[in-house]
Amino acid sequence: MRGISRALALGLTLAFVATACGTGGSTTPSPTVAASGAATKPRLELSTYQYAIQTKGKIRIGTQEDNTPFSVKTPATGKWDGFDVAIGREIAKAIFGEGEDVEKFIEWVPVVSATRIPAITDNKADVVIKTFTINDERKAQIDFSDVYFRTGQRILVKKDNTTIKEAADMAGKTICSQRGSTSEKNILTATNNAARPLLLDSYPACLLALQQGQADAVSTDETILFGLVKQDPNTKIVGKYFSQEPYGIGVKKSAGGDRTGFVDFINRTMITLITTGKWATYYEQYITPVSGDKKRTPDD
Amino acid sequence: MPGGIIFEFPELFLTGLWLTIQISVLGLIGAIVIGTLVALARVSPLVPLRWIGGAYVEFFRNTPLIVQLFFWFLGLGALGFRFSTDTFESIFRAAATGMALYHGAYVAEVVRGGLLGVDRGQVEAARSLGLSYLQMVRYVQLPQTVRSVIPPLGNIGIALVKNTSLASTIGVAELLYAAEIVESRTFRAEEAFIAATMLFLLLTIPLGIIVNELERRLLVAR
Repeated sequence: MRGISRALALGLTLAFVATACGTGGSTTPSPTVAASGAATKPRLELSTYQYAIQTKGKIRIGTQEDNTPFSVKTPATGKWDGFDVAIGREIAKAIFGEGEDVEKFIEWVPVVSATRIPAITDNKADVVIKTFTINDERKAQIDFSDVYFRTGQRILVKKDNTTIKEAADMAGKTICSQRGSTSEKNILTATNNAARPLLLDSYPACLLALQQGQADAVSTDETILFGLVKQDPNTKIVGKYFSQEPYGIGVKKSAGGDRTGFVDFINRTMITLITTGKWATYYEQYITPVSGDKKRTPDD
Repeated sequence: MPGGIIFEFPELFLTGLWLTIQISVLGLIGAIVIGTLVALARVSPLVPLRWIGGAYVEFFRNTPLIVQLFFWFLGLGALGFRFSTDTFESIFRAAATGMALYHGAYVAEVVRGGLLGVDRGQVEAARSLGLSYLQMVRYVQLPQTVRSVIPPLGNIGIALVKNTSLASTIGVAELLYAAEIVESRTFRAEEAFIAATMLFLLLTIPLGIIVNELERRLLVAR
């Protein structure tokens, strides 16, 4: 029903615009169809940060360019895609409305693990959605939304590898991970500082190092490893979860009330996404192809 | 106290400083040797040498250093070559090689300018006295070039020291890497990067002073 209403609204808008152009612009187009607020912006409280974003007309979303299957930017087209990207678009829709192409209200800010917290604290991004594990140390720096995804850290090795089976086996081996992430810290903790960490800027680079034998294993959150296995079926994921990784959306701490109501707004939006089944749909769209399982909520 | 964070993570910062120094020294020596040879090729009377020298400068000057570093690490790896079986030795050598070859192109242009700047009269006098081309280069042209290229070489050297920070992208645990790790552990980004900056200045300021001193001693008033 919603789709038909929207098509009707679009059709009438075009008709009005055509008429307006034809009569020298003397009439202004205005959609008058009873759509479910498709072309109007949601009403937000005046004192809140989301209202400020709505007024500004742009939300700055920080995410990574090469973090399959959560966020990927296709270099050729410049288009962003992925689970984190989809969540970001939903938040933008909650602020700017469903009607128009939400993409024009979004400014994508590329970040990597090492830069995602500075991007928030230096006010370069309004939100950071980048496989961002919530932990107490980070909570001292920034605010997090509620958990929107759960996973844990595991190890990726070549299919014919028999020496690394669990976290402790990483001792003395060259393990690749992303610089500045919780993953690289967990590797050292799990091996009592006996692993030799090769820290690069991204996981595709780590996969290359693994393929070339310059790293013995890659270790990070399982969902990212799923993406790597998809790229190279000659690898396998081993070991139990040796860390819990609850993902949250990073937001600047409110200083002098400049982020009032924002975290609550994001949490409410997330609950809506889960209850309306959109979260499950995105999971099936982006995560299921690599993990093989389906989830309806983050806590499944 | 600015830079105090260095004492909270001494191994990271000092290892970083030491690796930065090592790569800078190896890179600079390599760049000067390669650059001088390429410059000589570019001014040589042999056309194939001039062509090779020109191609070298065009390629290494016009491609980003970070791309070159990746090539020496993962690019060569894809072709089946590695600098060493130990990955950490491999990335160190890749970094030093990348630094030398990239900055070598800039050194080549500077030295070439210096070679061409030697008084034509000197060159012709040397040849007419019976010195071979190579003897002329060795005893007449190069020594006079040294004096004029010290200041621009100093600039290249300082740029090289700063460019070593790019080695962190291929996993070398130099100063920028240390600052990033400390920042991710403590979230004190300003302190961590100010500490790295101070340690870089510890290298670049003395380098600048040395270059000025050399310039003062070698420069002959014209």
